[in-house]
Amino acid sequence: MSARVAVVVFPGTNSEDETLRALAAAGLDAEIVHWSRGAAGLRPFDAYVLPGGFSYEDRVRAGAVAAHDEAMDAVIEGAQRGKYVLGICNGAQTLLEAGLVPGTGPLRRPTAAFAPNASGKFQSQHVYVRLNVSPGRMPMLASLPPRCVIPAWASHGEGRLAATEAELDRLQADGHIAFVYCNAHGDDVPAPNGSARGAAALTNAAGNVLAIMPHPERSERAVYAPSGGVVFFAAFAAALAAAVRA
Amino acid sequence: MTSVERAYVVSLTIPDNEAYTALTTLVRIGLPVDRAVRADVWIVTLDPARAGAVDAAVPTFEGMFNPNKHRLEIRADAAPRAGEVWIMPRDERPAITIGGRMIEGVHGVRRCTAWRLLDAHGADVPPALLERATEMFLCNPAFQEAIS
Repeated sequence: MSARVAVVVFPGTNSEDETLRALAAAGLDAEIVHWSRGAAGLRPFDAYVLPGGFSYEDRVRAGAVAAHDEAMDAVIEGAQRGKYVLGICNGAQTLLEAGLVPGTGPLRRPTAAFAPNASGKFQSQHVYVRLNVSPGRMPMLASLPPRCVIPAWASHGEGRLAATEAELDRLQADGHIAFVYCNAHGDDVPAPNGSARGAAALTNAAGNVLAIMPHPERSERAVYAPSGGVVFFAAFAAALAAAVRA
Repeated sequence: MTSVERAYVVSLTIPDNEAYTALTTLVRIGLPVDRAVRADVWIVTLDPARAGAVDAAVPTFEGMFNPNKHRLEIRADAAPRAGEVWIMPRDERPAITIGGRMIEGVHGVRRCTAWRLLDAHGADVPPALLERATEMFLCNPAFQEAIS
């Protein structure tokens, strides 16, 4: 039995097609599921991917309205039961607003944010991100090699990790900063958006939820980067296959 | 250098879709709110001798104020009114332009969003309810602060 993955689309999501392609290329049985199917329509799935875009036009704050959508009830319940949840860009912002990541506070009471870039501008550029935790820390990407470098496309106006200094210390000490910005060789570089601690992605304590700002799916094709985000999605697929077998 | 703060408060006179979306979410999370009212606020630190000139210039900045769809209120003090909460970024550096323009005598510009929540009778909701709405939805304390 293969894992069924829901690519969750809210009004304003715009990266569902390339996300679906990347998941299918990794051998996953993925399907686009619109928010209007509600939590009941999402519960049967084994994993959830929240793609990028501008859910609800970023009204109030990026990801804030989607985080409170009834459809997210299923994603939250699933995450709490150990299902894998991946949020990319706006999907990542939504996971932080939902309190699933870093998961250090109550649900839907965020303790961190992907806040407006330090430049004050929308930035679109190719980047590299490096796995910043041991692969075993995140079961959903456990087959990635240590310090794995993933090419990706950063495309956001709000991708700067912001939190109190105490919370940032805690995120760093407890291994929540899953990926950091780096160069092609894996060396640290300043985050292009001014993100605190160079963070490009956060995970929760259990490592089954990942919020990543740059788009690995946009590097899935060779036209964007030679090695692409294929490695990233292959690891996700392998972890899901193992989870379903278990 | 002496300076004063003024607030330029711009709200929509046409239906505000963002406020409606906020209202829908507030109702979904169980708060008894009948209407949400939103405004964009520019808090401007300026040379008091130039205040009149800035007041006269702001209504001509079409990127900030369009008389066909906006209402502009100029406040001599940069503080929320009773029943209002201002949601402000914590760590944003003040800009030096307002509405995309640089004006003589303007030393810094910060932006925030003002919210008012009304009950079924059109009155402001009790302060405790506004505070709850702020904590539960309107403000992300990781990078914003709420001023009321």
